[in-house]
Amino acid sequence: MNYPDWILGFPGGMLIALIAIVHVTVSHFAIGGGAFLVVTEKRAYGKNDTAALAYVRRHSKFFALLTVVFGAVTGVGIWFTIGLVTPEATSALIHSFVWAWAIEWVFFFVEITSAIIYATSWDRLDRKSHMLVGWIYFVAAWMSLAVINGIITFMLTPGKWLQTHNIWDGLFNPTYWPSLFARTALCVLLAGVFGLVTIGKKDGEARERLVRWSGMWMLAGSILLPAFIYWYFLKLPKFSKTYISERMIYVTHALNSGYACAALIGAVTLVFALWKPRWMRVPVVVLLVVASLGLMGSGEYVREFSRKPWVVNGYMYANDIALAEVPVLQQDGVAAKANFLLTTDTKSMEYGENLFTLECGSCHAVDGYRSMRQRVKGWDAAFATQMVAHLPMTKGPMPEFAGNEADREALGKYLASLNPPVDYGTITDANRVAVGAQVFAVHCGNCHTVNGNFRPLRDAFTNSTPDQVEGLLPMLDTMSTNMPHFDAPADQAQALAVYISTEANKSLPNPPASNQPGPPPGVK
Amino acid sequence: MTINVQVPSMDPMPLPGPVWLMTGLLLLVFTLHVLAMNAALGGGMWTLWNYVRGKKPEHPNSRRLAEELAKMLPIFLAYTITLGVAALLFVQVLYGRFLYSSSILIGGYWIMVIPLVMLAYYGYYYVSYTAVRGKSRTGLVAALSVLCLLAIGFIFSNNMTLMLRPEVWLKMYRAHPNGFNLNLHDWELWPRYLHMMIGAVAVASALLAHLGMLKLKKDPEYGAWLVRRAAAVFAITTGIQFLDGLWLLLAVPRDVAMVFLRDPVAGTVFGLALMAVIAAVMLMVLGSMAEQPNSLVYAGVAMVVVTVFLMTGMRHLLRQAYLAPYLDPGAVVVKPQTSAIVIFFVLFVGGLATVAVMLWKLAKYRKMQGAAGAGEMTI
Ligand code: HEC
Ligand code: HEC
Repeated sequence: MNYPDWILGFPGGMLIALIAIVHVTVSHFAIGGGAFLVVTEKRAYGKNDTAALAYVRRHSKFFALLTVVFGAVTGVGIWFTIGLVTPEATSALIHSFVWAWAIEWVFFFVEITSAIIYATSWDRLDRKSHMLVGWIYFVAAWMSLAVINGIITFMLTPGKWLQTHNIWDGLFNPTYWPSLFARTALCVLLAGVFGLVTIGKKDGEARERLVRWSGMWMLAGSILLPAFIYWYFLKLPKFSKTYISERMIYVTHALNSGYACAALIGAVTLVFALWKPRWMRVPVVVLLVVASLGLMGSGEYVREFSRKPWVVNGYMYANDIALAEVPVLQQDGVAAKANFLLTTDTKSMEYGENLFTLECGSCHAVDGYRSMRQRVKGWDAAFATQMVAHLPMTKGPMPEFAGNEADREALGKYLASLNPPVDYGTITDANRVAVGAQVFAVHCGNCHTVNGNFRPLRDAFTNSTPDQVEGLLPMLDTMSTNMPHFDAPADQAQALAVYISTEANKSLPNPPASNQPGPPPGVK
Repeated sequence: MTINVQVPSMDPMPLPGPVWLMTGLLLLVFTLHVLAMNAALGGGMWTLWNYVRGKKPEHPNSRRLAEELAKMLPIFLAYTITLGVAALLFVQVLYGRFLYSSSILIGGYWIMVIPLVMLAYYGYYYVSYTAVRGKSRTGLVAALSVLCLLAIGFIFSNNMTLMLRPEVWLKMYRAHPNGFNLNLHDWELWPRYLHMMIGAVAVASALLAHLGMLKLKKDPEYGAWLVRRAAAVFAITTGIQFLDGLWLLLAVPRDVAMVFLRDPVAGTVFGLALMAVIAAVMLMVLGSMAEQPNSLVYAGVAMVVVTVFLMTGMRHLLRQAYLAPYLDPGAVVVKPQTSAIVIFFVLFVGGLATVAVMLWKLAKYRKMQGAAGAGEMTI
């Protein structure tokens, strides 16, 4: 709560994601492509292949223009945006890893210099020295990945660092190696994909040979990648694994699109690059580049999502509030601690809205992206105030709310104001179960299903009559401090009870395993 | 100064290296960054002017200069960015709580730096390809690139002045929490921005005088022409810079500016910087006005580099003076990551050596070929 909160109207993370996806794609190409250039050059000399030599010269210019300009500037763009969107986290990272970044910078400096020299010195260096420059480029580029990979993986799996705060513990963390290998495989894959971009249109035996050559790189990347990704998944923290394996439909979608893109790339490689290189025309190359962006995009999405609700696992939440700050804020309240509030009048609606942007806005927009309005339908102020205290128990991987009673009330009031109050109408025997389902969605559905696989209530209520269920409702918050107090007009309570009892007692072909979600997202 | 202003508290994590070391590195890389930026921006203006002028057949020297310079512009910009990243690293670790705050306040503009750099950069590449062939749009693109860089400079000046003014932050934030603020009400902004931009032309001119000296042997007419022009522009812009510097000093709040009188170190740096500028102008003028430009010009260029370094130091001292009410050196906890620092320096030397080897190979080959200017340095 130190810094002003850049209020964009949509989560700032989207801005980071946008820049990151293109940057990551280009920068992986920048590494694999470096090796691709020199190896291709060497082969061309060895076989006295003038067509290949002309190609690799052309490719080196495209390569330099894309990586030295676009790659480098978007990299700076990530710096700019993370400082704007999560200054607290950026500060923590820079305090822990400034020397790692300084080391990376040395490689970056060598990388830029050698890239420029390589692309411009085809006629100004003997072959051996020219290839030496190319190798220098590749080694520097890969080393900068090796450093930055430590910082990126650190954020998800800080490992021993949480106790020691030692830079090497942070860098060489549990996912360091699998991630480094997976990224290296990606570099190889992308070297092949982008290798096709400059292949030219002129048909002929030489072109086919070059397409096949690019295809070999794509094939090698596609074979290595799944194995390393699997290894990486094995090392993920438990809570991340649950997102991937079951809970979060978005992650499932992202994973599936990732697999689809990878499969597409693999298939195109086999058919258009290796089997019938003549068919590798511009539209196919475009498709490959788009599929690569898709692959990188879904990979980055899954990687980022698996870290929720953290930006640095076990140290700082995604809304830029340090874990250590949470108790302080819960004690003293946000108004007493935050430096840049739009208002400090804790009774005002504006304050509630401000709390929303501060604590929820990094992952939710009011409308649109992960819409808040949609997610608090039916919440009245009292219920919302309670729910705010229980967010980590819902399906969403969310941080604890960092604020005191007054803050919860202010935020609750604001959340309730997003939708008109629900009107269930008169409840009759005919619509009772249907209304009950709606009441369930509002009051229980964020944390339970009846027969589904998220904290199902079936076991608790099989053989319960509606009256028994209804009798239990007012005691929920005494049963578990993780539940809000249930407070609704009697007819709604009755409808809810009928609904639960009906659902819990209907026969199912395969009843849910009594599957309780693990503990709320934590370090392990 | 009101001390009653909220600024972000220090990061709970200790500083990973001694303050003097990180400050030293910051000053070093920032000076280099400024030199590269000056070459990129001032060089761009020189290119543009000479490109337009060189279109007339009676100015073959201008034409030639524009062509030669155009090829260097992308490289200057590449190093501006690379060195800027290094400066950004150390300024964040030392002054992050001020810099992040002001960046967010002007976030809407700050983020525009990225697309603007990209435009300027690709524009420079376009110019470097087409300057010789003389495409009809070359001049326009060069002008656009220069404009982008001028805009970036303006955004940077806003941020660098705003980060020193915590007392205006809250009001500004409440006015536009979406980051569309500028520090326009700060009187220091204008002279400071001008100082950087005029300085860019002056320093670029000094570097061109150097280039002219290098050309002198093979092509006395062109070399002398370049040295004289560059030295003249350098002297004139430095004169204007002098006046602007006065304006800047007056625009700085008095109690802050007093640091140059009260603090012996600051006073010394100030005095040295003044002497360095005067020496640079005199050497440059004397060296270029001679019958045949002589090595005094080189000494002048060296003095310019020294001046930029000293000016960077003054800028740093001014920043310290501004922020003094908010800084508490005693409270800074330092826990040096010694092993990482050592590795950094070893690799740094290794990196420089690697670059040296590559440049040496280039020089060796060129000598072997004996071909003058064979294969220009352009992508
Ligand atoms: C770390 C990012 C993050 C932050 C911060 C965050 N949320 Fe969420 N929230 C999520 C995700 C992810 C989901 C689940 C996916 C979905 O519903 O789209 C979610 C879901 C929800 C839901 C629906 C819960 C359910 O499972 O049905 C509510 C209500 C909600 N959030 C409220 C809030 C409020 C209020 C805040 C601020 C105090 C907040 N969130 C802060 C990420 C976040
Ligand atoms: C904020 C999330 C939340 C909401 C809303 C919520 N619960 Fe729960 N409930 C939990 C948690 C978490 C548990 C598991 C016990 C624990 O960990 O404390 C639980 C446990 C239960 C249990 C005991 C289950 C068992 O198997 O032991 C019942 C019964 C129950 N809830 C019913 C309800 C009903 C009915 C509603 C709606 C009126 C509801 N809950 C709303 C979070 C919630």
